[in-house]
Amino acid sequence: METVINDYISSELVRDPELLPLADETSLLESGILDSLSLLQLVVFLEERFGITVGDADLLPENFASVNTICAYLRAREPETQAAHG
Amino acid sequence: MAESRAERLIRNAEGVAYWAAAAPLLARLPPGLGYHIARRRGDWIFRRHAAERTELAGNLRRILGTELSSAAVDSVTREWFRLSSCEAVDVSRLRRGGRPLRRLVDIRGLEHLESALADGNGAIVCSAHFGSFDSAFSMLGACGFPVTTVGRWQHNYTARLSRAERQFWEAVYARPLRRHRKRPNIEPWTGRFDVAARAANVLRANEVLTIAIDAPPLDSDEPRAVEVPFLGRRARLLPGVTTLAKVTGAPVLTAFLHRSADYCHQVLEISAPVPAEGDTVAAFARCAADVSAAITKWPAHWRYWPSSTDLARLGLILPEQDRSPAAAQVAYGQLTLPAS
Repeated sequence: METVINDYISSELVRDPELLPLADETSLLESGILDSLSLLQLVVFLEERFGITVGDADLLPENFASVNTICAYLRAREPETQAAHG
Repeated sequence: MAESRAERLIRNAEGVAYWAAAAPLLARLPPGLGYHIARRRGDWIFRRHAAERTELAGNLRRILGTELSSAAVDSVTREWFRLSSCEAVDVSRLRRGGRPLRRLVDIRGLEHLESALADGNGAIVCSAHFGSFDSAFSMLGACGFPVTTVGRWQHNYTARLSRAERQFWEAVYARPLRRHRKRPNIEPWTGRFDVAARAANVLRANEVLTIAIDAPPLDSDEPRAVEVPFLGRRARLLPGVTTLAKVTGAPVLTAFLHRSADYCHQVLEISAPVPAEGDTVAAFARCAADVSAAITKWPAHWRYWPSSTDLARLGLILPEQDRSPAAAQVAYGQLTLPAS
């Protein structure tokens, strides 16, 4: 999961090559990788890839702070993601 | 021409009395009489507020100078104050399900909005800080469309306002408007990283998202701003609306509410979807062109005329410190510099 998300962010959202390779614990907000529109792109990707819906209540900085926290958020919704893959 | 403290206090007191007491009363009078009094109040403000009047006329000349005669500049300036005064009555007429205001507004192009929603991807209605735009958004809500607005309640962000002033504007402005909105405003501000995703959720619920696209970019948004033709110049604006449309598949329509010569009646014109072909900047430039055309056609309706700071941030005029005649000529390409 970490690899899939890291690959997507690295290839689609990182505009500054100096931020690559992207560590899983790098802050996506403080480094400027995630802004309002790139978060939208990421949410669309996560929804399509993992078959979930990210509602307004889940759009919290702590859920999208880094690759690791995104994965933790997805694991917390594991039943849905498993159903999508199963 | 700086405003003295006493003048500011009188101005604030008059504004409070007008919005809190006079406008709700005018909204209950027959429309012809109510809006006539509002218009006369606008004339009075026009005469009293010399600094704002001078700033407004100066900016009109700087930006539309070649298109407006001197008499037209004076007329537009006066008209701007009249329209601002009428807006308070519009907001007050949003009571009782918005019917008192709805009776006075001819909505054209509603079929475009209905058709867009029938496709199931929601609809983005983009407009500008133009006339009673906030009332227009709320009126669409009062007509039964689930409307959510991307936009800041400015009284929450203006630094010099006291807590009491914020509460006042919340009560007389935001609350009546919000009553007809489906969700709370999605308010873009520095550090709010969830704005676009929340807006997308509105569209995915097949609802209507309204947005005024002519707001000057915040400092933190400057890297995302693009330059597009606007009012015969180039303005720096945020193209988020077209990015959102591309990601969600929602069509973008434009809507402008303009007031008729009798000041009572208004027309809300909703366009067919703006073509989305091309890259983000090209698609956004079409929306900006519609806004620019509306402002050129009804210049007194544009709210930013008296705000030189906002116009400078949009790139339409030079910042005040750079506004010498020679600097202006260089900036707008009117001066031929000697070859080096």
